[in-house]
Amino acid sequence: MELIHPTNTELYALVLHDAPFVIAAYGLLWLMFCGYVTFILVRLVKTDKQIALLEDAVAKKG
Amino acid sequence: MKRQIQVAVVLIVLGGLLTTAAFFMSFYTASVQRFGTYTAEGHVDTVFDIAPSSEQVAGGVTYGRPWLAQKIFYFHVPVALASFLVFTIAAIFAVMFLIKKKKSYDTRSRLAVETSLIFTLATMITGILWTRASWGVWWEWEPRLTTYFILMILMVAYFVLRNSVSDEERRATYAAVFCIIAWIDVPISFMITRLIPSSHPVVFQPGMDVTNLVPFIAAMIGMLGVGYAVYMLRAAEENAEERLDMIREKLEA
Amino acid sequence: MQDERALPVSRKISSWRQFKAILRKDIVMELRTKEMLTSMGLYAILVLLIYYVALSQAGQGFDVTRIAGGLLLLAIVFTSMLGLNRSLVHEQDQGCLEALLLSPIDRPIIFFGKAVGNLIFLLLVQVFVVPLFYFIFLSGGMATEHTGPWWMVALALIVTSIGIAGVGTLLATMSVNTKGKDFILAVLFIPIMFPLLLVAVAALSAVITGDPEYVRIFWTMLGAAAVYDVIMISAAFALYEFILGA
Repeated sequence: MELIHPTNTELYALVLHDAPFVIAAYGLLWLMFCGYVTFILVRLVKTDKQIALLEDAVAKKG
Repeated sequence: MKRQIQVAVVLIVLGGLLTTAAFFMSFYTASVQRFGTYTAEGHVDTVFDIAPSSEQVAGGVTYGRPWLAQKIFYFHVPVALASFLVFTIAAIFAVMFLIKKKKSYDTRSRLAVETSLIFTLATMITGILWTRASWGVWWEWEPRLTTYFILMILMVAYFVLRNSVSDEERRATYAAVFCIIAWIDVPISFMITRLIPSSHPVVFQPGMDVTNLVPFIAAMIGMLGVGYAVYMLRAAEENAEERLDMIREKLEA
Repeated sequence: MQDERALPVSRKISSWRQFKAILRKDIVMELRTKEMLTSMGLYAILVLLIYYVALSQAGQGFDVTRIAGGLLLLAIVFTSMLGLNRSLVHEQDQGCLEALLLSPIDRPIIFFGKAVGNLIFLLLVQVFVVPLFYFIFLSGGMATEHTGPWWMVALALIVTSIGIAGVGTLLATMSVNTKGKDFILAVLFIPIMFPLLLVAVAALSAVITGDPEYVRIFWTMLGAAAVYDVIMISAAFALYEFILGA
């Protein structure tokens, strides 16, 4: 594999008309994934904290 | 559980690296591809002229349009394929639930549908931007887009159905049955661009160049890794919630 | 010796007779109350009325034939959803479904009994609504001159109705046990039926507009609809047992 395939140099010599859309699509894709994963992680941490609290309460009771 | 989360995070990072590598490879090493579109006249290779805006000649090759949008193939298609695959796994878990009647299969099926819905949304977002770039419109009622949209609605309907049944066992059974029926749309949506005239490109076909295949496979593996990580994270969360409920019950008793 | 041989025969009622019994139950009940047919028929007329309102300002030059196939199918889909919901709410209200489950009837027979019952009612409503639709929207002037034969329209409607009744029976049995009944039925039914509706409208429109290639389009689309029917009804048939058991 060459570093840049010859067909690409031809293509980039032309106007980069569609580039913003492609890059935005890739960006949005990962923004969405990251957002969703962060959302899950935040909820997980919250639940973990609650579990720790309640387990303490159970230990005191018992 | 902590271990599960660690593995998931590592998988997401790896998936991110792989897909990003594929993204850059698609711009540098991958050759510019022709789009195969199945039209009324049979299978034709439309060389960048689905939406010609200007004729440009470079190095003796005529391009109808500088079609950078073609590079979306290296992440849009892997995400879409992953969404099909994960939904198929959800349907398999649904079948297993109906056979074995174990709650864990129902949970797995539900989590898989959820992961699949996330991937479907991702496909929709990337796809909509691509249609805007190369067809000049945000949306078109075209066979592939329509059937894929229906698939998304079916996944939403799956959760609406779940929320409206209160009995746990009945909810699980209904959801499994609906999941299997809804899955029938997957092969329809996948095959439709290959069977009937459609303006959606069919790029992935036999005889693809190695320079195209390498980034595509890298992105595919990356996306599947991300899918599995999302699924695992949700499973870990579900476990934590269950434990919380159990402790609460213990405390109240 | 003779008695022993006679016993299993008398115990096991043939599937055909079980099927007939379920079908008869639905039809007798309908003949007594006439509730389903009147409500479905009236609802269909109301839909036609709304079509008239929607098209009232379209003007003289507007060619109704181009959208007639879609309009006709839409009326049938809405009416069938009402009917399907009704037919299973009845079973639910009076505890009939539970009684059926206690009886020695084979579960798959219950599916076919209910589905065929729904199909019959749906077709009866269409016998009345489709001519009315033609009379209201397609009888004027040049509209009917180039259309294909009427039996093609009937065939397309029958194939579509089979799919609607088959899958609809499964989905309606689910939805009557949920909190949102008719809303849930719509949410499940419309996306599942979508591919069938799409090809059915293509077949109907080709015939009604009298497209030069209407014979070819009609049979291709009808074939696709038939394949969809077969796949969906086999799936519904296989899964109905689980729904009843839940």
